[in-house]
Amino acid sequence: MECRELGEALSAYMDGEAGSPEAGIVEAHLAGCASCRVLLGRMREAEDSLARIEAQVPDEFRETLLARLEKEELLPRRRSLFVFSVRWLAVPAAAAAALALFLLTSRESGVNLGKGPEPPARVAQGPPSAAAHGAGAPAAKEASPVRNGSAVAVTAPEGSVAAAAGELSGEEREIVAWLELLENPVVLEEGGDVDEMEIFSAPKKDRG
Amino acid sequence: MRAERSDEELMLLFKQGSRDAFEELFARHHRRIIHFCYRMTGDQARAEEAAQEIFLRIARAASTYQPTAKFTTWAYQVARRTTLNYLRDEKDGAEKVPIPVGEEQDDGSPAPALRGPETLDPERMAWGAEVRDRMLAALRELPEGYRSALILAGAEGLSYQEAATVLGITVQAVKSRVFRAREMLLARLPETLR
Repeated sequence: MECRELGEALSAYMDGEAGSPEAGIVEAHLAGCASCRVLLGRMREAEDSLARIEAQVPDEFRETLLARLEKEELLPRRRSLFVFSVRWLAVPAAAAAALALFLLTSRESGVNLGKGPEPPARVAQGPPSAAAHGAGAPAAKEASPVRNGSAVAVTAPEGSVAAAAGELSGEEREIVAWLELLENPVVLEEGGDVDEMEIFSAPKKDRG
Repeated sequence: MRAERSDEELMLLFKQGSRDAFEELFARHHRRIIHFCYRMTGDQARAEEAAQEIFLRIARAASTYQPTAKFTTWAYQVARRTTLNYLRDEKDGAEKVPIPVGEEQDDGSPAPALRGPETLDPERMAWGAEVRDRMLAALRELPEGYRSALILAGAEGLSYQEAATVLGITVQAVKSRVFRAREMLLARLPETLR
């Protein structure tokens, strides 16, 4: 094969795209032709130079693209983990804090919730008997007002609060009972006619 | 350890709404896409704009994506069409040599005008911004069809078959265009390097 006929085959050979017969012809020719070897060298050099041409990738390239995709609603927005965790932690944390405040400031007995198959906590209706005996009889126990005036009892599974009951005051046991209730809202649902918001509202103090 | 997902699997996951899948595809391919755009346009700003547009088009077309085609082949098709828009304002003088009609059947070509090896002496061609700029200038002198064939099959490392799919031409046409692009590039480089 003449040099003038070999150029395209030489180019394909350099790219590894020459078939077996063609590659063999090229190699045989190169073995005896210095000018074609030079040409092959120059093509490889130019190819290496071309491969080294690279753009700069700006730091903000990715974020800019993602923002544009989100704007066009082509990409679901990624929720901030911080916002997600704060949001889901805030509800029970705020509820627990509100309940604690309510129960600590309330001088009334706890609210009785509807009975269920496994009521969560046994609420002390007033101060512990020992404390009552020692300090004098407290005011008559009274249920917090609920929507229809019905009282709902809250009891705890055996072993959950009972083990610590002897160490906690009556008010503290109430707080624990309400916190456990937040973790087991089934009782509220079974109560049916209890307005959950009533639980968090300040009781009407009725000193009888 | 879970095996790495293929590009095609990631694209299907993105089609179903997975943001992570798209971000993984971006991480794998954004460099090659922006480098392709830069080699085609010779301009950093245009390359960035084109690359952004390419990924936007890929995202917009996700609903119609079919895994029958290799993802990179499809992505390069999108990339090539997109960069054409950024080449419209090239000077008319750049299209000096039109691609002959029916060149796919042309199997004869004159031997390239050989230059002495000293004009491309590696010691004289120390890589730097100047050489890069001259290479880019020489590339811009090539007709887009030759330029894209050379970049795809050369610098981008596609097979002739893949390049043919991207360009919508035959493998023989790719072979011919790549060689002619190299002829033209070598003919221009010595002049620009002087």
